[in-house]
Amino acid sequence: MNYTQKQKLGTVIKYIILIAVGFIMVYPLIWMVGATFKTNNEIFSNLTPFTAHPTLDGYKNAMNDYGGSINIFKAMFNTYSYVLPKVIFTVISATLTAYGFGRFNFVGRNVLFAALMATLFLPQVVMNVPQFILYNNFGWVDSEIYLPLIIPSLFAFDTYFVFMLIQFLRGIPRELDEAATIDGCNSIQTLIKVICPMLKPAMVSCALFQFMWSSNDYMGPLLYVKTPSNYPAAIFVRLSMDADTGFDWNRVLAVSLISIIPSLVVFFCAQKQFIEGISAGSVKG
Amino acid sequence: MRMMKKVLAGIMGVAMLASMTACSKEAENTTGGDAAETVAPASDGPVTLKFSWWGGDSRHEATQKAVEAFMAKYNNITVETNFGAWSGWEDSMSTAFYAGTAPDVNQVNWNWISNYSADGSIFLDMNKVSNTFDLTQYDKSALDQCTVAGELQAIPVSMTGRIFYWNESTFEKAGISTPKTLEELYAAGETFKTVLGDDYYPLALGEYDRAILCVYYLESVYGKAWVTDGKLNYTAEEIATGLQFIEDLEAKHVIPTVATILGDGAESLDKNPKWMEGKYAGIFEWDSSATKFGGALNEGQSFIVGDYMKDMGEYQGGFSKVSLAFAITENTKHPTEAAMLMQYLLNDPEGSAIMASERGIPLSKAANATCKEKGLLNEMVAEANGKVLAWVDFPLDTQFENSKLKGAPDGVYYDVFGGLSYDEYTVEDAAKVLVDGVTAVLEG
Repeated sequence: MNYTQKQKLGTVIKYIILIAVGFIMVYPLIWMVGATFKTNNEIFSNLTPFTAHPTLDGYKNAMNDYGGSINIFKAMFNTYSYVLPKVIFTVISATLTAYGFGRFNFVGRNVLFAALMATLFLPQVVMNVPQFILYNNFGWVDSEIYLPLIIPSLFAFDTYFVFMLIQFLRGIPRELDEAATIDGCNSIQTLIKVICPMLKPAMVSCALFQFMWSSNDYMGPLLYVKTPSNYPAAIFVRLSMDADTGFDWNRVLAVSLISIIPSLVVFFCAQKQFIEGISAGSVKG
Repeated sequence: MRMMKKVLAGIMGVAMLASMTACSKEAENTTGGDAAETVAPASDGPVTLKFSWWGGDSRHEATQKAVEAFMAKYNNITVETNFGAWSGWEDSMSTAFYAGTAPDVNQVNWNWISNYSADGSIFLDMNKVSNTFDLTQYDKSALDQCTVAGELQAIPVSMTGRIFYWNESTFEKAGISTPKTLEELYAAGETFKTVLGDDYYPLALGEYDRAILCVYYLESVYGKAWVTDGKLNYTAEEIATGLQFIEDLEAKHVIPTVATILGDGAESLDKNPKWMEGKYAGIFEWDSSATKFGGALNEGQSFIVGDYMKDMGEYQGGFSKVSLAFAITENTKHPTEAAMLMQYLLNDPEGSAIMASERGIPLSKAANATCKEKGLLNEMVAEANGKVLAWVDFPLDTQFENSKLKGAPDGVYYDVFGGLSYDEYTVEDAAKVLVDGVTAVLEG
């Protein structure tokens, strides 16, 4: 066996392993697609994605519009109408905050930073009631434009992202800032022209994480969105789930499948940046 | 560090002050509410009511239709609906109750009354609107279950209790009829083992099912309620007989061990392939769950409601509970209109026919008669519900479903019945753990 043959064989083996592992990883998704065509009985009795008695009921029922108040497409539109602003605001506010903590020395910085980090350990459950009362006093509950869901992201509410960006920022040499200053940049120009391009992978991961978390968030919309016509997809998916009398899983899975398509598209488009962001943060931080 | 302590102390001081002012404000509110004994009469002007419930598709659909019919009947009233699935619903509602933003009319769980409104400050006393809402459609014993702090805080929509269901096909295969007595059940265990094989059991019970059946058994034997006035009525010795009963069921091949059920890898019995195939031929479930368990079976199996076993003891053991209720919030601006909506949905022949049995077999006599007349009730659920209500006569303790007891997998019931099945506990040890656990919860 000569060198080229060896190399070919190696490649073949590598591909076999990758395909096998990849298949195992994707299997739940394949199963989910298959299960949307099954009845409850079949869903719980076999693990293959194939079905002996395919049914389209899942998709038919997925189009249920609850007396015209909400349907799956309206629900998906609702989701993105607060997820997109949230993502943009989060990236901007978290970057600004991280820049402030990472590059400037101001009075009370350490105390404030400690406070910021402390909120990282505060579970959401603890904040539900006080936040609800606060937003209620502002009259924001059941706001048509999802104020209680969007506004916090204007103030770098998600500490995790600030922390992640600060860690990343530490890897960017200060000499670059100094060089920018010599060239006549003020602080904001330094941030936009020098820091941001370097931070880009980290910012993309922030955006993607926020996108995933906000699209999947169930408790937030449940607390603050009270009008059925404003329900996002996360709530819509579960509308039919009656634990007491039972429900059709194929319908729930069909709705889930339709509603994750945009998320999947976003992920595939940003995949390269995303992976780069995660690994870059881990090495340099 | 010192600086930080000072800052922290300052923050805490402010927080405490803030919470004190919040308290005093609340106190004022409640006295203000109590002073008004009667409620505002129905107004002619436009009124907007909010109405919330949880459930599944068919319940959402029926309730929305009923609400629309109500709005068509009363032109000046607009009802805004808020509905969702059960998961997370209680968190969302409890926040709203605390913040005072809950809708005017709410579907509530029975234990919410004692959990959130133990002093009667969250839900309106329905006696105040008895001119609008017809209380005579309900038995006093049912209304008593919703009376907390001397106020009738909610109206029970339906009652539910546990009953046996059998997969008749499997029993036929074994060549016997479905068991009507305990003796027949024991015999069925033996027959199943010899005729059908080790995999077949006439009954399958999870940990919580065992806890409920054990209490049914004890009540049948001793004729006293599980808990009275916040005190456990049974000694460890008495409870040991109940636990021994469950042990006997397992030993006589009537029920599979907990390990066997967990080994099936299903989250609950209705998703368990052995139930679907008919290898487990019986369950002890809520009457309202009939459709779920019956629908899960493979095609061609017949599913029937069983009977209580008269030879369990001298008494008619078992309890029924309010499956869900409707309540009006105390701070509603339109109590009379809210009561009108409830009257329409629960008692009115037109409204109750649209609502049918979406929330169980209606307890309201008028609604029940309407639905029966029009044939709107699911026959099997109605049969099961009828049998439950005719048989059981013990009240359910409000703490029976406390998450410290019922919670999976670390609740007391799971510890006791799991431990017993795995032979980690002797019957005596298990009885002691159960007594201690229940007493601790009752004493708060």
